[in-house]
This record gives sequence, C-alpha cells and structure tokens, in this order.
Amino acid sequence: MPSTMQVYEPVAPCLTQPQKSRQSLDKLAGKTIGFIDNSKPNFNLLVEDLSQLLIEKHGVKAVIKQRKRSASQGLSEALMNELVSKTDAIITGSGD
Amino acid sequence: MALTVVSQSFIGLGRAQQKALGSPDLPMALIPHPFGTRSRVELKDIAAKCADDIARLLCEAALIGATKVAAVAPVAPRARLIEAPADLEELNKFYIKRRWGDGLIIAPPTREAVERMLRHTNREPDEVVATIAPGMGAATVEYIAIQGVMAGCYPEYLPVLIAAAEAVGASQFHLQAIQATTNPSAVWLLVNGPIAKWLEVNSGAGCLGPGTWANATLGRALRLMLLNIGGALPGDIDKATQGQPAKYTFCCAENEEGNPWQPLHVERGFSADANTVTTIGALGTWSMNMTAKGAEEVLAMIADTMQYPASSDYMYGGAPFIILSPQHAQLFHRAGWSKYDVKRRLWEQSKIRASRSKGSEFERMATGRRAELGEIGPDTMVPISEKPEDISIVVAGGAGSHSVFVPVSAHTRSVTREIVLTEGGAKAGG
Repeated sequence: MPSTMQVYEPVAPCLTQPQKSRQSLDKLAGKTIGFIDNSKPNFNLLVEDLSQLLIEKHGVKAVIKQRKRSASQGLSEALMNELVSKTDAIITGSGD
Repeated sequence: MALTVVSQSFIGLGRAQQKALGSPDLPMALIPHPFGTRSRVELKDIAAKCADDIARLLCEAALIGATKVAAVAPVAPRARLIEAPADLEELNKFYIKRRWGDGLIIAPPTREAVERMLRHTNREPDEVVATIAPGMGAATVEYIAIQGVMAGCYPEYLPVLIAAAEAVGASQFHLQAIQATTNPSAVWLLVNGPIAKWLEVNSGAGCLGPGTWANATLGRALRLMLLNIGGALPGDIDKATQGQPAKYTFCCAENEEGNPWQPLHVERGFSADANTVTTIGALGTWSMNMTAKGAEEVLAMIADTMQYPASSDYMYGGAPFIILSPQHAQLFHRAGWSKYDVKRRLWEQSKIRASRSKGSEFERMATGRRAELGEIGPDTMVPISEKPEDISIVVAGGAGSHSVFVPVSAHTRSVTREIVLTEGGAKAGG
C-alpha cells in the first residue's frame, strides 16, 4: 500500500476581489461622523460618549446616529445611502 | 471612509468579515470584551481611549476599504488535489490539523469518489451554486460533492446537497447571522417529496436521532459546507458560546403519511410529487410530552412551552417551527382544525407580557418590535411572530405523545428549494 494518496483540499476559495482606494481623512476637525448603533447592550451609551468626545476634543462638526433594529440585521440601503451622503466617515460596531 | 469598533473577542471574526467582503484593511478600534455588562463609569473610560484611537485611525489609515466589490464570478477554480497520508488514521490527523472537518472521522475525498458523486447532476463542477457566509466561499458543485464524500454521503445524495446549498445561500435565510452568532444556531435540513423514501431519509420513529445513514450524512455534509466553504471555524468565526449537538448533523424528512394536512412543500407552492429541501436556522429542540386527550389541552401546552422570554423569536418577531407527532396532528385534525387554525391559536395563546424580558433585554425587545407593535410597555402582549403564518408546522416522528418546539435564530427565515434530479436520478439509486 502506498504511503500517500491524492485527496481534495475541501476549503473553497472566496471569490470576492478587494479593490483598494486611498482614503483617509486629513483631520477630524470640521468633519461629520456617522455612527451605526448596532443595538447591542451598552453600544448606544458608547456612541453617546464617543460623539461627545469627538466633538469636544477632536473638533468634529457633527455626529449623525442611526440605530439598527438588531445587531444581526444590516441598516437598510436607503438609510445607509443617506448616511453616506451626509457624512465624511462612518463608524460601526461588532462584538458583545 | 469607515471604521469598526470591535470588542476584543471578535477581532478574528471582524478581520475575516472584512476580507470576505472585499475590505481587508478597514481600520478597527478595539474595546474590552465583554462590553455589554460594563458599568456607566467603566464605559466613560473605554470611550475616552476609544475616541483617541478613532481619531488616529481615521486620519492615518492608508490603503483601506473597497469602494466597489467585484461581483462573484459565475465559475470558480477547480478544487486542488493534494498528497496526504493513505492510512485512514493519519489522513484524519492531517485533516484535523488543518481544521478541515467537524471533529468526526471523515471519508477520503479522492478524485474517484468525488467523480462518482458528480455523475448525479448535470451541472458543471465549477458552477457556483451559492456563496456561503460568513467567509463567502464559493460553493461550487465540486466543493459541495467533496463535503458530501467526506461526510459519508452516497453519490445519489448530491442533488439534495446542491439544493441545500441554494437554500442556505438565499438572502432571506440570513446565514451570516446564523454562522457568526454567539447563539447555538444549527441548520436543520428537512426533506419533502418522494425522494425521502427513495433515499431512505427517516421521517418516522427517531428521525432526529441516530441510526439512519441518510439523515446522519446529509446533515453532516451540510455542516461541512458551513465549515469548509463558509469558513465558520468554531471559536474563531463561529462565536457560539456553547453551540449544540445538532451542529454536527440535523436532518430528517417530513412524515407526509402521518400529516392530515398539506406537507410543508405543498403549502409553499410546490407540487406534491416535487422533491424539496427546507433549511431552518434552529436554536434547539424542545420536547413536549403531552398525553392529554383534548385538542385544546394539547394546544395550550404547546403555546405555553413556546413562551420563554430569552428568545430571539419574541425579541425580534421570529419564524419558529413546531414538529407535531402524527398523534397530535391527528388530534388537531379530528377537532376540525386546519393547519392555519392551529397556527392562529398558537400565535394568540403564546403571547407573552413584555415585562418578562428584563433590563436591557426589555430594551432590545422594545427596539426590535417597535416598527411592528409601536411603543412597547411592560404590559404589552408580545406575539412570538409578526403574524400566525410565520409559525411553521410540520409532522415528523413515529408513535408517541411527543411533539417538538423549534425556536429559530434571529431574523432567519426558512428557505425551501427544489431538488433537481438527473434522469433516473436518486430513484434508480445511481
């Protein structure tokens, strides 16, 4: 009996191709930041505190918040498009 | 421009998600885990540090994020053959070391075994049937067959597995949430139509237990798809706190002879002689032993069992399943109730007072059901689902007074897909 055999590697590839573009903010001052509150316990409070700090300490002009119905659901496309159109950067949350 | 705030235990999942969605370099600001139980004072400290991190990351991020993710190609590369130990024990060690499995012994996916399976479909091996979340792996016909061989499936099971891949890949199934959650979400595979008998999928006594080759291997092959194609590695990507044994295998057929009403696939618009699979994001199986002779009595006990406040169904409006034993289905039928009558009665009688959800869970329920129920107060009576039709009823099992309640994972909706057979197909047994 041979010591080896040929078998298939079972892990399938991900076909999503990343397309990179250079994006960053030159500064936070004067910018509008969007928050997507994932509705996990305490995240709304963190968003509240972060909004205050970003405005008071880092000169952010305004913060726009959107709360999801639940953590496992995405924001609707309409609300997402609206948030994108009104903000310079969007912050989301993940975890517990 | 985007950034994610991530609690530390979820870094691996976050990175994997970014990669799968085409944005591998999206910046992350880390916060301690667990985060949801911190006091208000602790949160202030966490926010102070996090704000500085956010400011730094947003301004220093170099190459980040995809502005446009390339569409998934309709075909994928063929699976790769590799050299591995011929000895079965050593082969399994080889696979376990690479995390290519579910922890049970696998059958070697050789070229010959996979080719035997591929004869049972007319689809090309490199055709992408679905992409499997959260890794968005390409479930080609060939990769599906590989999982089937590893699980021990007979070659003629392949069309069932292809239909199962289509079902879990459907957007309404919301596999992303099932695969990456801390909940013990399993995927239950339910077979309807004549194929259940041809393949000897058990729908009778012990149909959710051991002892039947088709039930055991079909459910297991689906799990291997979720692991090897979907990338849901336990602990890293699959964040289930405990998980559940049904994540090894969870498959049965509907007992259509024991069902006095239409079976599930007919209820969903398929002909009685069509063959289908339905995938259900199941959180568990609650046994309900009810020897009462009255239909009202048994229904009241089922409705009572459905009520538990720590439930995604009540939190967000679910789509739970009830597996009626043939005995209970006949009892309801003899009472003159249609299947819809049973759903409506269960929906009405299983409403819970909102105050049974405590603290932040009450808040989550109030947020999750507001669009449907309006403002929720402590005395609001909350139904398990948005409407009675969202409760599914199937009949399975053998003799006995046991029915089963199957709560489902948040926001998932079961999906039914037709099994497409080649000429002769499963009926001929290959």
